[in-house]
Amino acid sequence: MYRVHNEVMSTRHILLGLLAGGPSHGYDLKRRHDERFPQARPLAYGQVYTTLQRLVRDGLAEVDGTDTDGGPERTKYRTTADGKHELADWVRQISAPAPHVVNEIFAKVVVAILAGGDPAAYLLDQRAAHMARMRELTAVKTAPGSDLSTVLSADYALNHLDADLRWMTTTADRLTTLTAEVDTA
Amino acid sequence: MIAGVVSAGSEGPNGRDSSGTRAGDKGAGGSRSGSLRADVRLAWLLTRGSDRREWWRVALTALGAALATGFALAALAVAAIRGYRHIAFASGLLDRPGERSGVVLTLVLLLVPVIGFLGQCARVGAVHRDRRLAALRLAGAGAAQVRRIAALESGLACLLGSAVAAVFCVLFLQGEWRQPPVLLWFGIALVAAAVPVLGALVSVLALRRAVASPLGRVRRVPPREGRGPGMPVPMAALGLLFVGLLLAPDTFGGYETAPVLVFAVVIGTGVGALWLTGATARFTGRILAARTADPATLIAAERLRDDPWAAARTHAAVLLVTVVGTGFVGLREVLLTSLRDRGEKMAASPLSFYTTGIDLTGAAVLVALVITLCGLGVGTAESVATRRRGLAAQAAAGVPRAVLGRALLLETALPLAPALLLAGSGGLLIGGWFAGIAHDGSRSVPYTALLVAPAVYVCCLLAAATSLPLLRRSVHPAELRYV
Amino acid sequence: MTTTNGEPSGGDTAPPLLTARRLAKTYGRTPALRGASVALRAGEILAVTGASGSGKSTLLHCLAGIVRPDAGTVECAGERLDTLPERRLSELRRTEFGVVFQFGQLIPELTVLDNVALPLLLAGTARGAAHERAGEWLERFGVLGQQLLRPGELSGGQAQRVSLARALVTGPKVVFADEPTGALDSLAGEQVMGALTHTARESGTAVLLITHDAQVAAYADRELRLSDGALAADGAETSAEVTS
Repeated sequence: MYRVHNEVMSTRHILLGLLAGGPSHGYDLKRRHDERFPQARPLAYGQVYTTLQRLVRDGLAEVDGTDTDGGPERTKYRTTADGKHELADWVRQISAPAPHVVNEIFAKVVVAILAGGDPAAYLLDQRAAHMARMRELTAVKTAPGSDLSTVLSADYALNHLDADLRWMTTTADRLTTLTAEVDTA
Repeated sequence: MIAGVVSAGSEGPNGRDSSGTRAGDKGAGGSRSGSLRADVRLAWLLTRGSDRREWWRVALTALGAALATGFALAALAVAAIRGYRHIAFASGLLDRPGERSGVVLTLVLLLVPVIGFLGQCARVGAVHRDRRLAALRLAGAGAAQVRRIAALESGLACLLGSAVAAVFCVLFLQGEWRQPPVLLWFGIALVAAAVPVLGALVSVLALRRAVASPLGRVRRVPPREGRGPGMPVPMAALGLLFVGLLLAPDTFGGYETAPVLVFAVVIGTGVGALWLTGATARFTGRILAARTADPATLIAAERLRDDPWAAARTHAAVLLVTVVGTGFVGLREVLLTSLRDRGEKMAASPLSFYTTGIDLTGAAVLVALVITLCGLGVGTAESVATRRRGLAAQAAAGVPRAVLGRALLLETALPLAPALLLAGSGGLLIGGWFAGIAHDGSRSVPYTALLVAPAVYVCCLLAAATSLPLLRRSVHPAELRYV
Repeated sequence: MTTTNGEPSGGDTAPPLLTARRLAKTYGRTPALRGASVALRAGEILAVTGASGSGKSTLLHCLAGIVRPDAGTVECAGERLDTLPERRLSELRRTEFGVVFQFGQLIPELTVLDNVALPLLLAGTARGAAHERAGEWLERFGVLGQQLLRPGELSGGQAQRVSLARALVTGPKVVFADEPTGALDSLAGEQVMGALTHTARESGTAVLLITHDAQVAAYADRELRLSDGALAADGAETSAEVTS
């Protein structure tokens, strides 16, 4: 759940953003991405490569040259004027509020009621799992020397988990009413 | 859980505060009519719905008003007697105009400690009341309406006291005096009405800051700037002295006294002692706070330094009574010896006439002292009650109750000592001076008067100590539930 | 970590520092606690959560020896708190325990420095030495610059950090914190919680944290949920296992 926003986030814009700092090659971009977004799923190198090719195809980036210092041949990329324009547009665009309208937890609660399962037990387990993840994130956030981007992304996740948690607590308190409603529907 | 999640403060407000707000909502509706009836109903609702402390305040205020009315009416009745009249009681002390003026003056001056007492009563529940009135303002009541409600609250309490006192006074007069002048009845009605009106006016004055804005003193942190030295009590004393001298134009009969000068010394010493209380409170507070390693002394010293004039306000009446008391004890001794020296033949009346007069004055001084001590006790209790949540938190954090209790007593003991010393000296001066006039310097200073100030000191500590059981109850962990 | 309803059952760690068994407490006619059991190990940070009125604060008061339970036992390092005389309890709270409430534990008339030094003064430490120790703690929590102010002049976050300093100045074994961030915005609350948990872990102080806020509870090693004065069977031990 809490990684959803990272997956929805456009990899091509992230890479464009990283390129804004100056020409880089694919492996370097992947490394910097993973450093910068420690809470996100690490980028696969293949994904970086295909994304870069699409950026070149769309005229947002171009090949800067190739490095062959000692190791294998590595293509360097740089952003174009269109790329900079596109990135500026993207940064200014607001994200659609409430992206998690389709809620898996809610779906499971309803299904549990329909199928005669134990939604209360499910909610308690889910709550425990959420709390455990929140503890992990808090530990990451409060670890000595954690940088601001780590703290901010952990905060983002924590607040979303907290929102889920509150919803689960309220739902647990309302299960009787909900059960009656689902059963009669 | 919903409430718990939505607001962190959801556990905070206690029932009392919310009851005040609820009543306030009703008030917003009634305010449009602006009628007195709506205000009276609101004042009644607020009083009825409030906790025990409010009832204490009402009861104590009514008691103070009853005392004030009683003394005022007695003074009025005595002043209304014209010419020579044989009166059955007080050993003929009320028979002649000369002595009567002395009695009138004494009765009027007894109002001084009563005013001090009423001042302490007004403080009972003041913080809670301020918050409640501010809640009324938030609920939409206008400043004038809130002021009216507050005035009605204390006015009604005073009315209760003054009505009771007036009824008893009238019953007594009808029994003792066959045809009192009609003017006296008017006077009685005037006094009985003036006491509640004055009470209401004073409460409006006292609340001028609380009702100024809807947020008023809702904040838990009181304003930093300390209040002034609290001159109302000595000012009131001066005013009453003036009234007393008007009512009793003749000087005391029988002796070569100069009451105006005596009272000037009394007032002067009282004001001096009052100023000294504030100054020493500030000084001892600063010195002790910087040096002491004893937690109780530290807490008391910092409280003194924080608001040095609080001690002065509380002790104003105590100091005046001490001056008068010391002076009186000295005077009494001189008078009695001189009476015995002169013997029966020199005096115009039997010896019992003089001794009764002296004893009655002594009784008046004692009554004043008792009223003053009650005021002090009420003031100390109020200071504990206001701080009870903080005190409970201190106790929970492991500060022993004994330390908190000692801090409470030290708060009274520290500033009072030097002030009582000065007040006692002033009284001695009066007594010694009088002894000088009476005996051409042949007699020594009346030393029994020396005991008055220490005795008053001990009584004050005892009065403050009456709050210790309340302190014990206040540090109960149940108070933490409202933290 | 193996716990069942908060009671210790495993032998892999040291015996618990503070154990409460089947506590019951009633205020007037309202039952605040109905058979709650808790075990707090040395150096552990335990969050007790639950809805308003679930008995969280009463549980803390019983464990800290502020309130005597109507039934059940509280044991701290082999000593029964529920039967100790008040004088000894007061001493225990002063020396072995520290408390942080949402509000009210600082004396408004004392300076920040004196407030923090107070527990030391109560123990008979000289003024200078007490001030020195208090100053060190104030510095640690970043409020040394405010040492001569009165509590009323502090921001909420500063006041709570001063309260933490006062709670920790005697080197207690347990700190009891009742909604320590209840009156703070989230950033100030984060600073207070960060300071509390960091210092507690560093000095091996156990913390019993009462909160209704999951983000605050996430600072703890373990969570116990109270529901109507008893522990909710909500898999507190599951969450504990996930962490450890």
